[in-house]
Amino acid sequence: MEITFEHVTHSYDANSPIANLGLDDVSLKIDDKKFTAIVGQTGSGKSTLVRHINALLKPTSGKLTVGDRIITSETNNKNLKPLRKKVGMVFQFPESQLFEETVEKDIMFGPMNFGFSESEAKDAAHEMIELVGLSKDYLQKSPFDLSGGQMRRVAIAGVLASNPETIILDEPTAGLDPVGRHEIMDLFKNLQSKGRTIILITHNMDDVANYADEMAVMSQGKLVASGLPSDVFNNQELLENDLLTLPQSAQFAQSLAQKYFQFDKLPITIDELSAEIKQQVNGD
Amino acid sequence: MNKLIMGRYLPGDSLIYQLDPRGKFLLTFYFVGIVFLANNVASYVFLMAFVLFAVYLSKINFGFFIKGLRPIFWLILFTVLLQLFFTPSTHPIWHWGFLTLSKEGMVIASYIFVRFVLIIFISTLLTLTTTPIEISDSIESILKPLKKVNFPVTQVALMLSIALRFVPLLVDETTKIMDAQRARGVDFGEGGLIKRIKSFVPILIPLFVSSFSIAYDLAIAMESRGYKDGEGRSKYRVLKWSRRDNITVLVMLAVTIILLFIRSY
Amino acid sequence: MEKIISIKNLNYTYPDSKKPAINNLTVDIYKNEWLSIVGKNGSGKSTLTKLIDGLIDADSGTVEIDGQEINEENIWEVRTKIGIVFQNPDHQFVGATVEDDVAFGLENQGMPREQMVKEVDHALELVGMHDFKKRDPQTLSGGQKQRVAIAGVLATKPRIIIMDESTSMLDPEGRRTVLNLIQNLRQQQDLTIISITHDISETELSQRIVVLNDGQIVRDDIPKNIYNIGTNLSKFGLEEPFSDELMSTLRDSLELPEGYLNEEELMKQLWKLRSNM
Repeated sequence: MEITFEHVTHSYDANSPIANLGLDDVSLKIDDKKFTAIVGQTGSGKSTLVRHINALLKPTSGKLTVGDRIITSETNNKNLKPLRKKVGMVFQFPESQLFEETVEKDIMFGPMNFGFSESEAKDAAHEMIELVGLSKDYLQKSPFDLSGGQMRRVAIAGVLASNPETIILDEPTAGLDPVGRHEIMDLFKNLQSKGRTIILITHNMDDVANYADEMAVMSQGKLVASGLPSDVFNNQELLENDLLTLPQSAQFAQSLAQKYFQFDKLPITIDELSAEIKQQVNGD
Repeated sequence: MNKLIMGRYLPGDSLIYQLDPRGKFLLTFYFVGIVFLANNVASYVFLMAFVLFAVYLSKINFGFFIKGLRPIFWLILFTVLLQLFFTPSTHPIWHWGFLTLSKEGMVIASYIFVRFVLIIFISTLLTLTTTPIEISDSIESILKPLKKVNFPVTQVALMLSIALRFVPLLVDETTKIMDAQRARGVDFGEGGLIKRIKSFVPILIPLFVSSFSIAYDLAIAMESRGYKDGEGRSKYRVLKWSRRDNITVLVMLAVTIILLFIRSY
Repeated sequence: MEKIISIKNLNYTYPDSKKPAINNLTVDIYKNEWLSIVGKNGSGKSTLTKLIDGLIDADSGTVEIDGQEINEENIWEVRTKIGIVFQNPDHQFVGATVEDDVAFGLENQGMPREQMVKEVDHALELVGMHDFKKRDPQTLSGGQKQRVAIAGVLATKPRIIIMDESTSMLDPEGRRTVLNLIQNLRQQQDLTIISITHDISETELSQRIVVLNDGQIVRDDIPKNIYNIGTNLSKFGLEEPFSDELMSTLRDSLELPEGYLNEEELMKQLWKLRSNM
């Protein structure tokens, strides 16, 4: 689904004497079937931005279009289910949303709310548990008997089970060990190749470089840059103003350029960096 | 959640902020008590003038006080209407079935309304200018005599302050869990009563689970920092009673005397 | 080198589990050392922390802190020598304001107020949070909260600081400030640092890495030697260091020395190759 923000402003406590801008005049287009990363410091408005996409928050002014739905400050709270079915959302530390007696029931919870029949929901649960890298034996266990990493996977399965077209991820790998992190990121990349739109909030610039097609940079509620990661990471202004940090490969290239080496454009992945180095050393 | 103005502290530095919280706490209760002594227009006008003066001294935007009325707006309206139409009178202005509108009714209704406003304003003033921890310190200090009968005052005070400390954290957690379940298709406030109650299960269970895990983590952290059983602890926060506070008590006494005078007038 | 912690044949099994969480573990930790403890989730790292601080009782074996074996009588005294900074900054904040929280450990010791005021100020200066003294923790960033937690621990003048995944919930900026702080403190205050982590860059700051697996030590070596095992590091819950990953993609066409090089060393090698052309 294509998602377009047009001059969206969101103010927390709009009626309170202390108003607090969460988003400040953001206009952004998120392409269909692309993997878009949203970065920015803590409190820059990333989470506020994505919560608009499934209407958990509504703009104070401006409008956004999600597929064929238009969301403005006037949007009614009723009849949001069709939208939320299409836009799945994995929150930060999503394991805290688990509540059912069994893993199976918990994964079925979303689909059943969205009108799946019981047997359809069950099928979805059986399919998703394996997709997130757990065996079917886990379905009958209590989610509270699992380890933190396993609970995370069950929570993700619970979101994917409703078969959303767009998947929003708010730092889905925070606190996981490196192996778990790569597995989870690969899972999302794989979902994208199956035609899903992926929106990822992250602090990990290597994940942005390795997985994202597009990226957006937020700062103090404003959108300060968007475009291809290879372009955005070469935006000197952002780097000078400390609005962005570089992926490890780009940092390494920058240091390497102190002597002998020269990079017209900073490589952002290991493969790009390695190819550049080989070319400059071997001169072919 | 932030809509509740009563019970929310607003950082500031005016005279009212600098008063000893114990004094503020007790005098607020005292004032609520003497509000019920007012019995004529003059006494209500006088009390209102006093409260507005205190509000002025606090240098807090008046809007916050008006907002303080909002959560109990319906209660005020209901009580005022009840007084307005059900006060028995021998000279009704208007009469319909069991409803009677009279001059006495109108007077009593307006007194009740002003009484509500006075009480809400003064308690909003307390909570806006006093941090929850200062209130809990005050309670500890006021309860201190109970130590003699082996009531665990310090432990209760620590419990209270930790509880206060974790309220905002749990509010955030609740909002987050509600958002997460909404994103999974839960509609709060839709359908019949049973369905509505049921829709809170997916919130309450995760909230219990995280509360317990926070409590466990906190207990471990406290123990690792040497917290035993509350005995032999010293105290970092101290409350200081100063001349300002003496003056405030005197002012309140003067208010009482003037009130008694106007009342019998 | 002088020992500060000596653990011998330690065993611990959780009441509801069959598998031991700590399995006959023996290790010595030295004064002023920075030791990293790594391992996959569930390898026993956090259990070990709790055993060292006497927060749980071992089934068998001994833990000696600064020459004193932990037992019922001296546990509170031993605990003053150890400060722990936990993972979730929100779950360890006891005080209503920054200064109250830092004072908590001192209040527990029954320190007189005048002295406490000085110690709180001093600890907050050390972590660079003095300007935030009166602030409500809710208004701080994750990194700032952890710095306050460190101040709270420092105030009681411990010999050992245990960082129990204390940077894992922070953003990169917060992580950097906390690690810089710890590095400076270790030098200034003669502290021993034990850091439990998944973060490879954090282990690079340490002098020694202990790898735990199923409650046992499977490796105990200097970082350079541990990194040498390359891609197998993932079995230990660590990522391959960036320099190592880059080297393995370069080896097919460039001549590089065997073994692990850190980023600086690798850069020097590359400069050499480039200048020789």
